Amino acid sequence: MTARKPLLDALVSMLTARDVLVSCLGANARYLPHMTVPCPVFALCDSMSAAIPLALGMALQRPDRHVVALEGDGSLLMSPNVLATVAAAAPPNLTMLLWVNGRYESSGGQALPAAAVDWVELGRASGIRHVASVGDVATLREALPRARAAGAPALIVVEIAFDPNEPIPPYSERPDEIRARFRL
Amino acid sequence: MTGLEQIVAGLEAAQVSIVASVPDTWIGRLMTGVRRSARLRAVDVAREEEAVAVACGANLAGGRGAVLIQNAGLLNCGGVLAGLVELYRLPCFFIVSLRGDHRDPVYYHAPKGRVTEETLRAWRLPYARADRHGDLAAQVKQGVEFCVESRGPFVLLISGEDLA
Repeated sequence: MTARKPLLDALVSMLTARDVLVSCLGANARYLPHMTVPCPVFALCDSMSAAIPLALGMALQRPDRHVVALEGDGSLLMSPNVLATVAAAAPPNLTMLLWVNGRYESSGGQALPAAAVDWVELGRASGIRHVASVGDVATLREALPRARAAGAPALIVVEIAFDPNEPIPPYSERPDEIRARFRL
Repeated sequence: MTGLEQIVAGLEAAQVSIVASVPDTWIGRLMTGVRRSARLRAVDVAREEEAVAVACGANLAGGRGAVLIQNAGLLNCGGVLAGLVELYRLPCFFIVSLRGDHRDPVYYHAPKGRVTEETLRAWRLPYARADRHGDLAAQVKQGVEFCVESRGPFVLLISGEDLA
């Protein structure tokens, strides 16, 4: 399995100024302020499970923009119902990337409940028709353009390695700063 | 106009664009009016916390979101209110059916009715009970504008009688 950062780097390199990026709390939200992202970013530092519905609201409000939501497996396991909500609303301009490492990384790397959740099948069973699974940069580079072109909400399951020694930077932006900078 | 029609007119007058909802009997009736509106987009969500985030997303994207849920669902929303709405200072207007007060004939709602307003005060959420003898549309519009100006939440509590 590939480490998180090369996959995040590849994702950011594929974004454009017309995209919108929403990140759940945790490592991705902590890396993003240190990266050159070409589109507006709204990164959460709390509120597990809010990233996808937040992105859904943006996608419905602004059909002229493509919204990319980053969610973690711990957050989605807490509220998998949101996949059905997205499927029902069916915005063609929403792509969800689910980062799967089986850990609550932002709270110290504790393991998720020891169940072999099939995230691809969960997505399909919830009504998301365009679901892909990637495990390296090359497959991510193929999957994201297909998701954008799906004409329906898409889910990309990103399998990543868990590294307890990964040098994830601390949160470096305050919520009021994130809010003030976010403009569509 | 019925109360239901006034509430929908208030949402329209306040330029609400997206209404995210989990229905109960009363909110479900209200959502039938929302769905008839050409200016409101109804979004059916599976849990109330999602409705809050959807409304916040609409607001962040330049629209105005509203959340229509029962008080049981509002009681689910403490985390997202603290960790999203309050933390990022986002407008979020709620219409909440107040089940279990003295006007509600259904006995099993009573425990929720006993704690709803005390919980709102404990969470420091600005709120009002709708006054069906007054202008409901104006109360809705005022609530939405309060959210925009304060960059925070406001809860309008309604009863089934308010929809008549």
